[in-house]
Amino acid sequence: MNARALLMWVAGALVVDLASDNPVVRVLVALVAIDLLLVLTPRGRSLTPTLVAVLVFATTALALNVALSHTGRNVLVRLPDWLPLVGGPLTLESLAFGLTAGLGIGGAVLAVAPISLVLEPHELIDALPDPLERSGLAIATALNLVPGIGRNAVAIHDAERMRGWRPRGVRSWSEILVPTILTSVEDALALAEAMEARAYGLGRRTTYAVRGWSVRDVLSVFGAVVAAGAFLAARLAGVPLDWQPYPAVSLPPLPAPLIGAALLLALPVIPWPSRRSID
Amino acid sequence: MAVATLDRLTYAYPGSTSPALRDVSLDLGPGITLLAGRSGSGKSTLLRVLDGLVPHFHGGRISGRATAVGEDVVRTPTRRLARHVGFVFQDPELSFVYGTVEREVAFALENVGMPREEMRRRVGEALERLGIAGLRTRQVGTLSGGERQRVALAAALVLRPAVIALDEPTSQLDPVGAASVVAACVELGRAGLAVVVAEHRLERLLPAAERVVLVTDGHASSPMSAGAAAAAGLPSAPQVVELGMAVGWLPLPLSVVDARGRAPALVGRNGSRPRATGDVAWSFENASLGPTDVPVLEAIDIAGRRGEIVILVGPNGHGKTTLLRAIAGLRDPLAGRVERIPGRVAYVPQNPAAALHRPTVREEILLTLRRTTSASASEVETGAAAMLARLGLAELAERYPRDLSSGERQRVAIAASMAGSPDIAILDEPTRGMDRASRERIASVILGLRDRGAAVVVATHDTTLAADIADRVLEVRDGRVAELGPPTRALSDGSPYATQMGELYPEGPVTVAGVLAHVAR
Repeated sequence: MNARALLMWVAGALVVDLASDNPVVRVLVALVAIDLLLVLTPRGRSLTPTLVAVLVFATTALALNVALSHTGRNVLVRLPDWLPLVGGPLTLESLAFGLTAGLGIGGAVLAVAPISLVLEPHELIDALPDPLERSGLAIATALNLVPGIGRNAVAIHDAERMRGWRPRGVRSWSEILVPTILTSVEDALALAEAMEARAYGLGRRTTYAVRGWSVRDVLSVFGAVVAAGAFLAARLAGVPLDWQPYPAVSLPPLPAPLIGAALLLALPVIPWPSRRSID
Repeated sequence: MAVATLDRLTYAYPGSTSPALRDVSLDLGPGITLLAGRSGSGKSTLLRVLDGLVPHFHGGRISGRATAVGEDVVRTPTRRLARHVGFVFQDPELSFVYGTVEREVAFALENVGMPREEMRRRVGEALERLGIAGLRTRQVGTLSGGERQRVALAAALVLRPAVIALDEPTSQLDPVGAASVVAACVELGRAGLAVVVAEHRLERLLPAAERVVLVTDGHASSPMSAGAAAAAGLPSAPQVVELGMAVGWLPLPLSVVDARGRAPALVGRNGSRPRATGDVAWSFENASLGPTDVPVLEAIDIAGRRGEIVILVGPNGHGKTTLLRAIAGLRDPLAGRVERIPGRVAYVPQNPAAALHRPTVREEILLTLRRTTSASASEVETGAAAMLARLGLAELAERYPRDLSSGERQRVAIAASMAGSPDIAILDEPTRGMDRASRERIASVILGLRDRGAAVVVATHDTTLAADIADRVLEVRDGRVAELGPPTRALSDGSPYATQMGELYPEGPVTVAGVLAHVAR
């Protein structure tokens, strides 16, 4: 997929996810984003870490809200008042609000995940506008070092283990962490030296390849722009998008035009018959 | 005509009181110039002067003059010199910016703002020139070591420089990969480029070198012919040169071809008897091994004994490290059984210097001894001093390990890993990028471990080291581990791992010492 199209889709999905508290919209964004990742993520890249991160963020938001907000009419359970912070009623409303908050964070993480999972670093650089290109290259190059840092950490852990190191509390890990950081800094300097030796920073750069736009790319941008535009317009026009479970939980509003607009985000996952470039 | 000139150049790194280069005057012309010298002698620094990384990237104090293709190196930024001087680093993995071959090769062209059509032409031309056009769309992470180094060479060539500098380009490569990189250098030299190579593995480069510069403690000799350099004493002389010097040949042979027909006859060859070894120390039974859940080695049935050195050879990326990690117990087999004797396992991974973090070299060794033995404080001190002496590190004992040259760091890391009395010792490419003197010290430590009854396993591309220490050679290739037998068979003529002596004396000794022991006098 064209990197610029994908970046626009990410921006659109983020706007839709964060423009309202409506859980139905957030579920839609999360589902579409997962579908997109399943369709576009190259083989060999695992979705598991992203999904684990989503689960952790969402669960944390849910747990914090349930434990700390003691508002709402429908009490599920009451914890002793002498318990600091969490003592008091735990309500269905706080559970519902926590779920919505978790869905919002999870949806946002899933919406931006294609940047790292679908795009190669050079595609990201190519997609940036010229003024950001040098910064983008620096960031992408730094991202290239990440697998090396992982390998260094494993190698150093192995070497230290075989020299008798055993994990004994937090401080003992400094013996792995310090050499890993030192080696990673040395690797980063080696890369910087190699880039300098290949004329990096000489002046205005050109780009080797520009990916054309396919039907899927155009429709993705169309869907993202319409969806984001609809939600922003609705927000400006004062259309009731948000959902408040307090004081008593109720069904969220389902404004059909906006649900339809959110569904436009699914355009890139539809199996279009042709990927022929139109540019 | 000189393409690069150094005139009374002296350079010291920031914070260093001792110059890395001292009063160097050189004229370098087209063809291959070989920089030979011990680890830490200043070869890499000299290479970096050619494209201005020294002093522009590294800083420090410099005096004298240096020009490359008419540009004043001291006054011209590296990024501008990059149009005239290409640079290939020791570890291509640390210098790659992009994920695919063609983008990686195009990186320098993008940096100089070249139009897209011209870029495509240049990338194709560079890939063709190095015989890797078929790799154009491949991910660099999927390439073999030799392929990666040729991609790095293509990436340096793409700006059509007049000078190419290569810093130990074959030190991490298997024999086939190393041969492909050397062949590419030879082709470039023949095409009129000034190819300047710092290297310890001289077997293939020496006969092709237009000139050799010996670098010693920051001083550079005048460029001389390869024959003159061999006679003057190369720090990592190929086996045929060593043999020629020992038997008094003049001129000295530079290759096996030179030596054929002059090689002295051998007498009294009864074949060496296998050494007596101890009990089985480690073994695999129908084991499948892999760095992830996907096996790279299957149906492995091998074992190693106490008092035995097993050498693993094979192409880059075929599973030698995976096998070593399984022997060490760092990775369980995916299927089958692995057994090892109780006791300490010492392990030197690739790039062992990465783990160094103590304030001094001595502290690194003391740390291992304190953690792994129950010896008294004075015994630990004595053990550390002995290890420092054995690896020639006594003078560096109070230095910060990460301030040392890469070869010295490697020796420190090996000393720190092998200190004490391990029952099983495992070493992954222990002599990578080392000069001969350092290699001999490592060999002596490994032989000492074997003689004390340890089971030793070494993965290496260094066939000279293998010839010097091996009791038995295993080949790890294409998912299998094959027994190649004793070194006299495994490293002999016809094998991709043959030493020069092995090629010269098929089925005979594979070391110079072995040949000299049987020369008819």
